[in-house]
Amino acid sequence: MEAFEGHETFFVTYDSTRTRRLERKYLLRNIGTNPLVMAQAFLSTLRILLREKPKLIVSTGSEIAIPAFYLAKLLRIKTIFIESWTRVDRPTATGKLVYPVSDVFLVQWERLLSKYGKKAKYEGAIL
Amino acid sequence: MIFVTVGMHTKGFDRLLKKMDEIAAASGEEVVMQIGHTSFRPQSAKWFDFTTDAGIKEWCKKVRVVVTQPAMSILDAQEQGTPVIVVPRLKQYDEVIDDHQLDFARELEKEGKVIAVYDVEKLEEALKKVDLRLPELARDRKLVNALKKYIAQFERK
Repeated sequence: MEAFEGHETFFVTYDSTRTRRLERKYLLRNIGTNPLVMAQAFLSTLRILLREKPKLIVSTGSEIAIPAFYLAKLLRIKTIFIESWTRVDRPTATGKLVYPVSDVFLVQWERLLSKYGKKAKYEGAIL
Repeated sequence: MIFVTVGMHTKGFDRLLKKMDEIAAASGEEVVMQIGHTSFRPQSAKWFDFTTDAGIKEWCKKVRVVVTQPAMSILDAQEQGTPVIVVPRLKQYDEVIDDHQLDFARELEKEGKVIAVYDVEKLEEALKKVDLRLPELARDRKLVNALKKYIAQFERK
């Protein structure tokens, strides 16, 4: 969160014991591979983005980033995707899906760069 | 005391929890587990399914070692300065969709950031040796600074 100091922020994340404690948040149902829940997530995310009108969306996934990043493209909101630290060699399905619509696309292992296009960058990892 | 945490993952991690429950019974050391979506119910260890962020941090602080999957829970332990043993979830046991945790554990082990155990039969031995202090882990400033740089760029446009 330190990277966002001085900026107004809100969260869109999955509902869980941990996330319920966040301050400014929208909690969605875990999407997984369920297409129906994904469709619901598109509608909820659209409502949230129209209400909050963020200038930037930053996400580390997972599936919850898919509706947000595609809708952001339509609404001209900038996006930064950070591939999971746990991914050394294998891209995530979400990463591959949001790669084309991301303004900035970061990976946390240099080796993973070869699995993505030119836009992908390595700028260090969380630890 | 040992804290075992398997996070928010939608699949269970029976293999790890069963072994840790056996270790709790055999060693008499107190073991506390956050079991998430695992169906197995520990007999000798204390357990709960989920807790808050503060709850996880508190357990990580109280114990001599945290046993977890190689994922974001490593950061919770690291923040409290507690050594971490990681056991990767494996595809062959339907614990995860692919073997990315195995790759990740190998890399972290190479960098000396965690102790990695790939076969749960070797957990007991690894737990005995954890007293060796792991190197102090520091958050990488580079990524935070890169994010600040991008945010500043977008603001100017």
